[in-house]
Amino acid sequence: MDIKISNVSKSFEKKEVIKDITFTIPSGEICCLLGPSGSGKTTLIRLMIGAIAADTGHIQLANIKMPNLKMLKKIGYMPQNDALYDDLSAESNLRFFGGLYQLSKSKLEQRVKEVLELVDLTEHRKKLIRNFSGGMKKRLSLAASILHQPDVLFLDEPTVGIDPVLRRTIWDQFQEIKKSGTTIIVSTHVMDEVTECDKAALIYNGSLIEYDSVEKLLKKTNTGRVEELFLMASSRGGVVK
Amino acid sequence: MIHLAKRVILQTLNDKRSVMMIFIAPLFALTLIYFLLGDSDYTATVGINKNAMPAPLVTELKAQDLKVIYVSNDDFQHPKQYLKDHLDVDAIFTISENASVNIIMYEPSKKSAKALSEIQKALSSLNPSAKINMSYVYGAQDNSTFESLGYVFLGLFAFLLVFIISGMALVRERSGGTLERLMMTPIKRGEVILGYTLGYGVFAIIQAILIVFYSFYVLNLHSIGNIGWIVVAMVLLAITAVSFGAMISVFSTSELQVVQLIPFTIIPQVFFSGLIPLDLIPYHLGNLCYLMPVFYGVEAIKRVMVYGGGFLQIWGYLFGLIGYTFILYILNTLALKKFRKL
Repeated sequence: MDIKISNVSKSFEKKEVIKDITFTIPSGEICCLLGPSGSGKTTLIRLMIGAIAADTGHIQLANIKMPNLKMLKKIGYMPQNDALYDDLSAESNLRFFGGLYQLSKSKLEQRVKEVLELVDLTEHRKKLIRNFSGGMKKRLSLAASILHQPDVLFLDEPTVGIDPVLRRTIWDQFQEIKKSGTTIIVSTHVMDEVTECDKAALIYNGSLIEYDSVEKLLKKTNTGRVEELFLMASSRGGVVK
Repeated sequence: MIHLAKRVILQTLNDKRSVMMIFIAPLFALTLIYFLLGDSDYTATVGINKNAMPAPLVTELKAQDLKVIYVSNDDFQHPKQYLKDHLDVDAIFTISENASVNIIMYEPSKKSAKALSEIQKALSSLNPSAKINMSYVYGAQDNSTFESLGYVFLGLFAFLLVFIISGMALVRERSGGTLERLMMTPIKRGEVILGYTLGYGVFAIIQAILIVFYSFYVLNLHSIGNIGWIVVAMVLLAITAVSFGAMISVFSTSELQVVQLIPFTIIPQVFFSGLIPLDLIPYHLGNLCYLMPVFYGVEAIKRVMVYGGGFLQIWGYLFGLIGYTFILYILNTLALKKFRKL
């Protein structure tokens, strides 16, 4: 499912958080939204999933204008914090979120089993979340967002506070999900993660400063590091177009 | 919606503190109140001056449920000082030359009231023409405070505990991000509120039955009317409490803030629950009771329990609760727009 973002702006209490952003994410790719914290990545994701409406411009998912209630079935969303119920077991958490997507009982059981295997939590499925470690919560949160086999998956800073080994595992899981044809949009402020993605959108102070395939972006730099593009943008004091 | 209700139930059952708070806390509190406001069997102590009091009266005083002690002439000159020095004496009772009665007591309290009523009994038995026969349309003179105010506590507990638990759970859901995730599924906003109400509604029903059985069969409260209507009123009140808790959670970002809002949410409810007679409040402030959900529930319970009413006598209050819940349901559904436009 491709995503078209056309001239989107959004303000909160007169402060412009997203400034006239236009770009298209093609179907079946991993696109990363890269930018320092506070640059507007989460707001952009919330606009794309239709949690909030844009002030100007519009967003289309597979040519359907967002926000749209029906599209929510095709969207997977993993919020920044773990957003799981502490007093429920891993299994019950998944069953609950799966139930909201109106999966049939047998389908739900099958999917719960599958995603638990994918994130390697099968043996902990009966444990309450309050006894989970941070990394386990992250993985279960990912599992909850892909239960209903979404066409497009939004991940808001999925690797924050995660050790390098687990980060590797999680990225492998993303690649695995991509293979099934899912479009993945992942926001991050860890510049190294950009190499895992097909495309990267660099966001700085609410503006899109660069959007291209990762390969091409890295060629624009002297050192092969993405930070440089941000440093260039900040020294110019604004937007590159 | 059913999924949400099921989750609420499972989640609450997995949290032992919540279970305790719903099922054990009200019984514990009622038991405590039963002992605090129940029959005290207190025997008041009255000091008299034997020489200045007619002998038949002394005999009568002794015949009452009173402890009579003799106070010396000197002490009688300064009765207030005597009471201050002897805290175990509740009242000093004198009759002057012209037969006027003086009773001096330490402070207005239940102990003083007890002494007073026993002295009155003694006086009236000496003078049958001054005897007062009291009776009430509802209730009886020898009802303990617990018996005559019990209905207030049934309503208060049905409301308070469910309010606190559901309010806290919803705030946690907001701050923990699960509500945001929930709103990113195809669930409708109205279903979220309904699911919550349904889930806690199950606990409200069990809690109401538990409280009613405990108070009527263990603590010996009496109801003239059908206790089934009491359960109905309590369940409706608890369901209103869920909506009320949801509303409060809109204005709080943490559990601590729910606690900080207690002076605005719970305390007025307690004052207007019927604990204080509303007709006696000046400037018509008593009418504020119509803003308090607890008032509707307690009033319905009172009409069944004390006045022996049935559905015809309480339907107005029951519909008041339903209306209250409906308005809060609309407001709560609108408040969820913050998380999802649609």
